[in-house]
Amino acid sequence: MSTEPTKEEIVLLARQAGLNLPEAYFEELASAYANVRRMIDRVPTGRPRGDEPAHVFSPAKFLPAGK
Amino acid sequence: MSELCFLTIAEASRLIAAGKLSPVELTEACLDRIAELDHLLDSFVTLTTERARAEAKAAETAIRAGGPVSPMHGIPYCLKDIYDTAGIRTTAMSRLLADNIPTRDSFCGEKLVAAGGVLLGKNATWEFAHGGPSWDVLFPPARNAWNRDHSPAGSSSGSGAAVAAGFAPATLGSDTGGSIRSPAAANGIAGLKPTYGLVSRRGVIPNCFSHDHAGPLAWTTEDVAILMNLIAGYDPEDPGSASVPIPDYAAALTGDVRGLVIGIPQTWLEEELPPSAPTKAALEAALEVFKGLGATVRPVKLPPLQDYDDAKKTIAVAELFTIHGKDLRERPELFGASLRYRIIAGGLVRAEEYVQAMRWRTELARAMQATMATIDVLMLPTNEPAAKLEPVAPETLFTRRSWTTAFNVGGNPALSVCNGFNDLGLPFSLQIVGKLFDDATVLRVGDAYEKATPWRDRRPVLVAKETA
Repeated sequence: MSTEPTKEEIVLLARQAGLNLPEAYFEELASAYANVRRMIDRVPTGRPRGDEPAHVFSPAKFLPAGK
Repeated sequence: MSELCFLTIAEASRLIAAGKLSPVELTEACLDRIAELDHLLDSFVTLTTERARAEAKAAETAIRAGGPVSPMHGIPYCLKDIYDTAGIRTTAMSRLLADNIPTRDSFCGEKLVAAGGVLLGKNATWEFAHGGPSWDVLFPPARNAWNRDHSPAGSSSGSGAAVAAGFAPATLGSDTGGSIRSPAAANGIAGLKPTYGLVSRRGVIPNCFSHDHAGPLAWTTEDVAILMNLIAGYDPEDPGSASVPIPDYAAALTGDVRGLVIGIPQTWLEEELPPSAPTKAALEAALEVFKGLGATVRPVKLPPLQDYDDAKKTIAVAELFTIHGKDLRERPELFGASLRYRIIAGGLVRAEEYVQAMRWRTELARAMQATMATIDVLMLPTNEPAAKLEPVAPETLFTRRSWTTAFNVGGNPALSVCNGFNDLGLPFSLQIVGKLFDDATVLRVGDAYEKATPWRDRRPVLVAKETA
């Protein structure tokens, strides 16, 4: 992904997200996404394969009460 | 009447237990003060007057018969309007939930009912605890109790203002990036973001599941500890809830901080996000107080604030869109403009990007715990004193760095207490951060500071508007 998203890119991503927005909201989406894009571009990605995310499934949370 | 409204939970509880204060009298004093003055602050969006009177009367009868069942028995409180309340409107300030009446109380609400508390009503919030301040949502934004032209911060805005104004001695808020601590800071009260998982979020309308914390705000840290004794604990209905031993938080308030090692995040405060000169001076003065009490202070290093903000906000925008996607697709006009801007782009975040941010959170949280292992608590300001209450460009959510969000990423307990007032009479704030599940130390340190300083002796002055 590029740092500054193009209108075509945003149209495509919005369509994939099911967002068929009026033009006024589309401008808002484009502005907001540019800010989000800059954050995402700062997230490091070159991680070892085994690096776990912070939301791994914990089965103990789903034991019936009292177990 | 005002004197009763300014009693802390601890003070009122002692008087009630001794038969020197009636829960009915205390509740009526709070209701009178709200009726007289809340038009200045808009801190409540719903009042539960009849329920409050009934609960106060029932508490009085029960206490006369068998004594109080808890330190909150017969004590008024309020709840941020994202806490479900059975049979009582819960709106999150949103036109989308204008008619939402839950059928069950939140976990925390059930605990306060069982403790004999008296519910006065629901407090203003930013829309869905995320977008604000807003003038195009269900209710007007709350105002700062020390100067109504200034912001009470958010998102637990009404909660902070209500406690500072003496409308209620206790309230519960939520904190996803600073939303308990910032209103506590702006309004000069105490507010704790407990360790993630320590207080159940069941029945609290979500902002961002992975970073949401429920927690208490009150005038003093001692009162926050009393509330934690009632609401902390495992809840199998909250998948993030932690099954850990719960200490007696009130009993932990020994006043003793001798030998305490305080870390200061030097790079954050000297290079990345330096405080203003007055805020820096207030922090340094607080550190001198701790040195005088027997603590030592030393610099520590943490990953950049920007890293914590980027990881959290990337995760949050995706989770927020997941929660609100259906409404954003079908009726986006019902959102306030501020919230809509802050969440709509979450639909464009790809799964890989979300998971990469979650992997980064693991690294950042580990780095936080490694640093915390070398000290007892970390200290820094919570926020600068409150700015004017005015519309904020919504993109600032993405561009502004804060001193609070890193501890949502780490999950660490973080308390905000008042550490003085600026030239405008607005509160300074001190943030005290602890090791995971060591909320008791954080509370002990905050309480010791409050008792060693005069800042709890000053209250905001509110004057009712004259009506024609």
